[in-house]
Amino acid sequence: MARSRSTIFDRRRLLKTGGAALAGATLGPLLVTERTVAQTRTIYVNTWGGSWTAAEEAAFFKPFTDATGIRVRTVAPVSYAKLKAQVQSGSYEWDITAINQAEWLRAEREGLVEPIDWTVVQKDKLFPDAVFANGISYCALGTNLAYRKDKFPNGGPQSWADFWDVKKFPGTRSLYNNAPRSAIFALLADGVPRDKIYPLDLDRAFKKLDQIKPHIKVWWTQGNQSQQLIRDGEIDMMAMWNARASELAAQGLPVELVWNGATVGITMWGVAKGAPNRKLAWEFIQFAVQPKPQAEFCNRLYYGPTNPKAYEFVKPEIAKQMPTFPDNAKVTVPTNVEWEATNVAKLQERFTQWLAS
Amino acid sequence: MAGQLTASLPAAGAAAPARAAEGQSVPWLLLAPATLALVVMFVLPIGYVLLLSITDPALSIAHYKRIFSVPLYTRVLFNTFTTSLTVTVACLLLGYPVAYVMTRRSDWVSTVLLMCVAVCFWTGFIVRTYAWLVILGNKGPVIGIHQALGLGPPPRLLFTTFSSTLGMVHILLPYMILALYSVMKKIDPNLLRAAASLGARPNASFREVFLPLSLPGVVNGGILVFTICLGFFITPILLGTPKDMMISQLINQQIEELLAWGFASAVAVVLLVATSVVLAVYNRFFGLDRLWG
Repeated sequence: MARSRSTIFDRRRLLKTGGAALAGATLGPLLVTERTVAQTRTIYVNTWGGSWTAAEEAAFFKPFTDATGIRVRTVAPVSYAKLKAQVQSGSYEWDITAINQAEWLRAEREGLVEPIDWTVVQKDKLFPDAVFANGISYCALGTNLAYRKDKFPNGGPQSWADFWDVKKFPGTRSLYNNAPRSAIFALLADGVPRDKIYPLDLDRAFKKLDQIKPHIKVWWTQGNQSQQLIRDGEIDMMAMWNARASELAAQGLPVELVWNGATVGITMWGVAKGAPNRKLAWEFIQFAVQPKPQAEFCNRLYYGPTNPKAYEFVKPEIAKQMPTFPDNAKVTVPTNVEWEATNVAKLQERFTQWLAS
Repeated sequence: MAGQLTASLPAAGAAAPARAAEGQSVPWLLLAPATLALVVMFVLPIGYVLLLSITDPALSIAHYKRIFSVPLYTRVLFNTFTTSLTVTVACLLLGYPVAYVMTRRSDWVSTVLLMCVAVCFWTGFIVRTYAWLVILGNKGPVIGIHQALGLGPPPRLLFTTFSSTLGMVHILLPYMILALYSVMKKIDPNLLRAAASLGARPNASFREVFLPLSLPGVVNGGILVFTICLGFFITPILLGTPKDMMISQLINQQIEELLAWGFASAVAVVLLVATSVVLAVYNRFFGLDRLWG
């Protein structure tokens, strides 16, 4: 009896493992299953590639693997849509992603976000305001006015009102093809104080945008596109991500960054709902938001640390170039995440239609 | 979709039982892999997109109403088709002579041309798009020559409809040339010699003999370039103005930035239907059967 039971059991096991092996052989490279996880202890991180991933490698991935033995694999580029596709299909290419707060909030509202595992993440190891919509705050990204110093020997534009003043500051202009950012810049140029920007007065914003539209040579969409435009001298002043501009300045280009009126958004670490390596993922995220790793990342790529203690490890000359540096934070416009997450679809449609007409 | 699905099933099922009917069922059996591939790769995904467009987030035709009530979508759709048509005509005008020379010459000229087309074909389209940014840019050779000749203020080349169209033509030209070449190569040169021996001048023999025989290539290349162009959006974004926006940019935006898959699917369905209508009209006047010579 016992013997026959065990043979049946064996046969079943054989079928199971055989089936699993077959599935593994055909789907193996594409799918992360609970099974492979337990054996290898690897997490998969969705990242931007290029200098972003290089900075993450040095600041987070390598130290984390050294400390825990957990391996980190990256998948580029960041895809918001893939977050939804993964959760809907149940097959995961990555566990962790980093996207901006408004996107993260919309993902949470759609049920695409894994709740924070408080058995792994320790609250006392986090900083104030670290947690938002089941994500943990990673870094701050500024969209600033940037201009070429060599084109403005008598001083360049210092505000969005100056950017809109084509008589006082002649030159080629470019803006970021992003509806909320462009509307905010227009309202600032129209004299709205930075703490009264939200809720955005869209009719007023579009009226102001009408004035500048004929003078905008390019509405850029990609970070390296914006860099190329100003590097090649195609554009004299533009809206630009702060670290992209700092990178050019570090290469010796005469690019000046204006903090007055810059918008600042927070990028969040988060885990895709149901991701197979979620426990390890939270362990990684907790590691990555500690002061030292955050500082290491920001020393390489000048996006601001969100953990205030990170500034202890940031070089002083670099600290001044960060969106979260106190002097800069005084003159910038932080994103109202609730408003943007709720209104972006309608606003984007109106903006795109305005652009195309 | 359902019709095609059920149509394929008896074909696969009928093969097994009756040995007597083997003579009839074997051709159907041979069709089965192709049918399966078509169903899995095309019918099911398109059916899913169709389904999403009326069920995500709720069962309604609201997405379609929005497409036809907000002017943005119809305008961009119209622009997508006119742009694709312009690009196709430009590719044909530029590609036909090249393919002709490639066919008629059998020495090194033909080889060099084929190599050039192939290298162009193998270079990534993003790379080629960025190359135009440099060539037409402020510090590029075109503006440089213009200034060296003292022709006054430099013309605005980049970030215009012109540069956007040029970029797309450059990317799609190899498709057109190769489609034309593959057909022209099969034209028997003896036919042209025969025409000449019967007294036709080169112009006449080209017009009366070569051109009609090369038309399948024109139809083939035209459809290829036109349909690929309908899906373009990166090149117009990088080289053109917002007015050159193509419909796939809007689809991409809805999917990637707004997670609005239902609406994106609806736009994709409208694009698919519009494309089918255009091809049907094309077929009515030119006949798609020319594709096969």
